[in-house]
Amino acid sequence: MVTWLQTFVRSSVGKKACMAISGLLLVGFLVAHLAGNLTLFLPDDGAAFDAYAQKLHDLGPLLYVAEVGLLALFVVHIAFAAWTTIGNRKARTSRYAVQPDHGERTVASSTMPITGLIVLLFLIVHLIHFRLDERFEQGPFDLVEGTLAGPIAALIYIVGVLALTLHLTHAIGSALQTLGVNHPRWSPLLRRAGVGLALILGLGFLSIPIYALIAWGGSN
Amino acid sequence: MSTNRSLKLTLKVWRQAGPGAPGHFETHELDGLSEHMSFLEMLDVLNEKLVLEGGDPVVFDHDCREGICGSCGVVINGRAHGPDAETATCQLHMRRFKSGETIFIEPWRSEGFPVVRDLMVDRSAFDRIISAGGYVSTNTGSAPDGNAVPIPREDAEQAFDAAACIGCGACVAACPNGAAMLFVSAKVGHLAHLPQGQAERESRVLAMVRAMDAEGFGNCTNHYECSAACPKGISVENIALLNRDYLRASLLERG
Ligand code: HEM
Ligand code: SF4
Ligand code: FES
Repeated sequence: MVTWLQTFVRSSVGKKACMAISGLLLVGFLVAHLAGNLTLFLPDDGAAFDAYAQKLHDLGPLLYVAEVGLLALFVVHIAFAAWTTIGNRKARTSRYAVQPDHGERTVASSTMPITGLIVLLFLIVHLIHFRLDERFEQGPFDLVEGTLAGPIAALIYIVGVLALTLHLTHAIGSALQTLGVNHPRWSPLLRRAGVGLALILGLGFLSIPIYALIAWGGSN
Repeated sequence: MSTNRSLKLTLKVWRQAGPGAPGHFETHELDGLSEHMSFLEMLDVLNEKLVLEGGDPVVFDHDCREGICGSCGVVINGRAHGPDAETATCQLHMRRFKSGETIFIEPWRSEGFPVVRDLMVDRSAFDRIISAGGYVSTNTGSAPDGNAVPIPREDAEQAFDAAACIGCGACVAACPNGAAMLFVSAKVGHLAHLPQGQAERESRVLAMVRAMDAEGFGNCTNHYECSAACPKGISVENIALLNRDYLRASLLERG
């Protein structure tokens, strides 16, 4: 068992599969996260959002299990991303004078390590804002309002989400291919659905800091 | 009546004395080239000129010059095998270029393909990957009856499409990650679609991926540049098949 796993995670295809599975599970988390966040927009002065946050907290130890699981997904994804990216740099040390382009590469596919890194930096700021701040317990909605009312904070969120959106426009279709899903009839459709989901998540998450800038901006 | 435009070109050719040696671009002007020449014939003209001038000819690989052996291949202005789709360097014609143009000519660049000299690279890594499992271990005896083993038309088509790979290495050259997945997947896919390939299907994909990784090629990130550069139009569907077969074989392998 152990030797099998070692061989698997050291192989190029195995590493990519670990990234794809952890990445897709993270996409699943983002869908749930966005659904929860959108309760911010209900016209009830944050009552629904606070209730949603309270429900999560009431899970008690289950919440910790979920958080540890989520952390593990990020660690796996980032570790394999670093491992494969370093391997890929080593596989092409000699640079072309004319940068090769055969028309299939995209901005998204070419910047995956960079957009990933921006998402990671954003994630750290995001956790400091809302996970590590004691004030979240007392009033989640008030803390979100208080934090995002600052134009610099809102800007950080906008940049972070834009990087995530670009990351995901390549990532979702790419992960399916990595896991062996490719069919002449379905794949073009699935690739477009992947870009669509990336844009929905992107616009959904963007709506929050943009709303904050417009509705709360300058209020502190 | 075909006209014969004459071309004047500036070439920036990569020169490298040997593996690991530092390389550099050398500039050459060629005048009076026929537009009907192939790209390799243009390089022949350059080499004749260099020899007459007492210089060293540019070393480049070639053999059949009809697009079937996989020997030729250089990166031309940032495109493996040049600007034409599904065309090997030997099948590329000079009419594709404009008089007065500057053309950068570089070798395949990848850790898996060390430069032998100038534009020639060592692609023996591909041979070692094939030796690891790109075959069927049966005693074939004399030729069997044509339809003794029934093969559905769709399977035969897909096997044939994958088998069209000539092992040129353009996929590796074009890949930003220097990955060899298109080549390996073409070889895996070719046999995976045929009944004769089934007995060793799992062991083959495990062994070939292991051999590929040992040669220092990169990890596929699904840019799909490989397929766009491939002179035989090998589809990335083969890469998905390789991934699928590798995942299944790793999970189900006994012991
Ligand atoms: C919520 C956050 C994230 C999600 C949902 C996500 C999702 C994904 C998915 C689905 C893939 C495709 C895997 C494949 O093609 O097999 C991927 C690839 C990748 N991710 Fe992430 N990712 C996230 C964060 C990050 C972070 C923080 C980093 C790095 C610090 C990162 C770096 C990469 C890299 C380098 C790739 C490889 C590019 C490729 O294979 O196409 N990602 N990501
Ligand atoms: S897959 Fe295409 S580009 Fe790669 S070696 Fe085969 S023929 Fe050449
Ligand atoms: S020389 Fe044989 S394929 Fe070009």
